[in-house]
Amino acid sequence: MITLNDIWKQYKLNNITHRSIREDVVNLFKHKPISNQPDGTFWALKGINFSVKKGQCLGLYGPNGSGKSTILKIIGNITSPTRGTLQINGRIAPMIQQGAGFHLDLTGRENIYVNASILGMTIKQIRKNIDAIIEFSGLDKDMIDVAVKKYSTGMYVRLAFSVAVHTEADIFLIDEILAVGDEDFKKKCMNQILHLKKSGRTLIVVTHNMDQMEAVSDRIIYINKGVIQ
Amino acid sequence: MQFSNILRIKSFFISYNNIIKMLKIYRNLIQYKDLLLILTWREISVRYRQTTIGIAWAIIQPLSLMLVFSFIFTYLMPTKVSGYPKMIFFYAALVPWTFFSTAINYAIPCLVNQYNLITKIYFPREILPISQIIVAFVDFLLASILFVFFMFFYNISLTWYVLWFFPLFIQLILFTVAMSLMLSSLNVFYRDVNVASGFVMRLWFFMTPIFYSIDALSIKIKLLLFLNPLTFIIENMRRCLIEGRGVIVWQFLIVSVILLIYFFASIVYFKKIERKFADVI
Repeated sequence: MITLNDIWKQYKLNNITHRSIREDVVNLFKHKPISNQPDGTFWALKGINFSVKKGQCLGLYGPNGSGKSTILKIIGNITSPTRGTLQINGRIAPMIQQGAGFHLDLTGRENIYVNASILGMTIKQIRKNIDAIIEFSGLDKDMIDVAVKKYSTGMYVRLAFSVAVHTEADIFLIDEILAVGDEDFKKKCMNQILHLKKSGRTLIVVTHNMDQMEAVSDRIIYINKGVIQ
Repeated sequence: MQFSNILRIKSFFISYNNIIKMLKIYRNLIQYKDLLLILTWREISVRYRQTTIGIAWAIIQPLSLMLVFSFIFTYLMPTKVSGYPKMIFFYAALVPWTFFSTAINYAIPCLVNQYNLITKIYFPREILPISQIIVAFVDFLLASILFVFFMFFYNISLTWYVLWFFPLFIQLILFTVAMSLMLSSLNVFYRDVNVASGFVMRLWFFMTPIFYSIDALSIKIKLLLFLNPLTFIIENMRRCLIEGRGVIVWQFLIVSVILLIYFFASIVYFKKIERKFADVI
């Protein structure tokens, strides 16, 4: 289903702007010299090999800046590897960021349409799922037609999460998404993720919460400094 | 990113790969048409939400420019601009110009503004600038309604040459799409584009026959102005709409070929560097 063959990813640190790199190496930035190469480049991934079969759940674990998010970005086709090849069969739902495309001036319902279409759903699919999405988010009927800027943080995050889990995709990339909402909602999310897994979806999960990771993952890969340990 | 990389244009036009890229952008638009639709709708509704006169803003821009130019050339420096009423003469050129400049102004920062989407989720990136162009197109349609009203008001007689407007408008769209793809992607690497755009667009406005006509100019000056594709498009739009004149076919064909080549090149270029957006933005 997903196969990564010897994936290497190099970032140039001397770009005019480098927001995405900053995000990846933010911690290294403070303590150690960032570049691990003399020419001002940085290898975020150094020969990653793994494969995930359909219906499996893989957990990625490692300290900040170890390359977990870069792996998700490469699988999600957001960035391309410097070297190496990958094969992916199936539709990907990148739950890397919640509420992608949410606009504060739009209502909850309108934002469901925007967010779900960015995640790859068609208008028809959104219409079909919108009631389930609203119900899962636990938002009041009258709140859903209010601009998102009036929402509390929790409501915002719950809405975003419930769109993401209702995406019709075969592969879900989940980055630190379980750290949302109150205890009840967390439990609900966990169940939904287990449900996705049971229904044959492939999951790749990144989290720093080892308990959650062990609860969902079939296999956990430890990554440090761009190398699988 | 090396500047030479961006400028490398060799073997652009014949390669098989590039034709595939062309087809891919088309297929992407079909496949992601719902996303395009929703993003366009989002842009329009966000832009006019919490404004009191809403979408009427689309008309105010060309209309106010028209009034100012009419005022200047009637009272401040009385000039006979053409044989036609000044108001409609200016407005006929201001409407397509406003479409072009709005589209470019919306499109240039759109990739950088959607930094959150581009670094987190895959979708064909051309959807973002193209949705901005559609927003400008909606504004254009509204401004055109007023133009039709002016046509009746000034009793402009319609001729069959009006039909030339449509092929000219296709040229305008080709040029707008090509410029938007080019400039919005360059802006990802060099934010200078966004900084320069305001003032370059103002210069461009004066170099386009909007409040003057190229009819009476010497051939040298005409040729100079024709370096700007908008000169051909906008001057001819006005001729066929209000002056009842046709377009010279060989000129139209030459401009079409140049615009098609440019359009093609901009798509190939955009598809080539879109992979780097997430790393550089």
